[in-house]
Amino acid sequence: MKAKISAWMDGELDKHELPEPLKVLARDPEALECWRIYHVIGDAMHDCRMLSAAFGSRMAERLASEPTIVAPGRSTPWTERGKWLSLSAAASVAAVALVGWLALAPREATRPPAGPVVLAPQKAAPAQTAVADVKPRPPAKIPLPSATNDYLLAHQAYSPRITLQGMAPYVRTVSDEAVGSASR
Amino acid sequence: MSERLTRTLLAQAFGVLVAASAGLAQAQSSPEALEWLRKIYQATHDLSYIGTFVYQQGNHSETSRITRLADVKGNIEKLEVLDGVPREIVRTDDAVRCYLPKSRTVKVDRRSNHRGFPTLLQGEIGALAENYTVTMGDSGRVAGYPCEAIVLAPRDSLRYGYKLCADAATGMLLKAVTFDEKGETVEQFTFTQLSIGNVSRDKLRPPATRKWHVEDAEVAPVNLEQSGWTIDADLPGFRKVVEVTRTLHNSRPVGQVVYTDGLAAVSVFIEPVAPGDKPVQTGVASVGAINIYTREVADHLVTVVGEAPAASVQRIAEAVKYRQPH
Repeated sequence: MKAKISAWMDGELDKHELPEPLKVLARDPEALECWRIYHVIGDAMHDCRMLSAAFGSRMAERLASEPTIVAPGRSTPWTERGKWLSLSAAASVAAVALVGWLALAPREATRPPAGPVVLAPQKAAPAQTAVADVKPRPPAKIPLPSATNDYLLAHQAYSPRITLQGMAPYVRTVSDEAVGSASR
Repeated sequence: MSERLTRTLLAQAFGVLVAASAGLAQAQSSPEALEWLRKIYQATHDLSYIGTFVYQQGNHSETSRITRLADVKGNIEKLEVLDGVPREIVRTDDAVRCYLPKSRTVKVDRRSNHRGFPTLLQGEIGALAENYTVTMGDSGRVAGYPCEAIVLAPRDSLRYGYKLCADAATGMLLKAVTFDEKGETVEQFTFTQLSIGNVSRDKLRPPATRKWHVEDAEVAPVNLEQSGWTIDADLPGFRKVVEVTRTLHNSRPVGQVVYTDGLAAVSVFIEPVAPGDKPVQTGVASVGAINIYTREVADHLVTVVGEAPAASVQRIAEAVKYRQPH
């Protein structure tokens, strides 16, 4: 199977040969993992930039939440339509690329998205080590929530650290009373 | 060499490397260091003491006094912040009370049996060793006590590392440093003065609170999935330990789910956004080693609070999903 996946990636399979590896990927996590690793290696060899870890699931989420356009509006000018056509071609390419990233974050997808994405299995893909080391884009910095101290007080009671260190970590709970109460 | 051959060879090498590093990592923790962790846990539970410690994070440092009495009548522990705005927190076997004299407020967080309080028991130290490599560090001296150092190096970038210094005689934790993946200090607690044993109950009296405003949190177990919420975080090494609803600020009901890897904990808070609330900002804020990530999901504010790197907290936050229950 690995040889077939490799040949497929190189575009060496005929059209009629394609359904078989597609089916195998859908049910065999090992084959899917192999497909994923081949792509990661291929990307590394071609110096491709890595996508963020949750890219696949976020993309699937957005696709799922987009309304299905059954009949496009008549008033759309022709030039705009041309643009949409090329965009939808790009989207198909993106959807195929997406399959691999769903495999990286399989349990983050809420529901099986339609179309080629059906390939991604709902479970499996034991890619935990890889998942652990892929870093998402650094999040935006925002000010502390006004209720920070309430959250901290509720949170720290459950931290096993308290059983190792006693109450000292609670000092974080109250070190900013001004933030916690002034703005409410 | 053809690209396909290179790819196949690299894939095999990758598999071997992953297997080898997993095997090596498991073998590195030292039994002596794990035994010291157990001693620290025991000392935290058994000892009575009174001492002063400094908490440092970034450019900020703050001095506090901590008093603990362990006896047959029950354990009681008090933390008094000595710098800036005065405040006290008292923990007894059934509740944590936070006294804020400036606003004449007491915040009560009750503990009860159904809450499944996670403890670092002997059995769990083994689980902890799956996420950290625990080794002995250089011995030294803190607050006049000779001490042993225990280093917990994280096995991946999902958690911080820790260096703990414990009194060589009693196991009392004298210093705790949290460091990030670059080895830089994120925050630290250091005792500057400590006296172990002989604490009188008088020293643990809470402040007089007649006419103070009391915010008493009600906590009850819950199954959030039944109301349509799922958190498929799949963060290796973290497991769910608590799932409750509670009242928080202004008595609004809030869902809370807690994950822990044996040492660090991450809480997910889910609460409805009320009309008139400020729009939810998506992003991260931090206090020392605690990162707080907020985002909005299905007209609810999701706040993830954890003693873990921002990326881990963000991953849990992004895994929060809502689907209308049937």
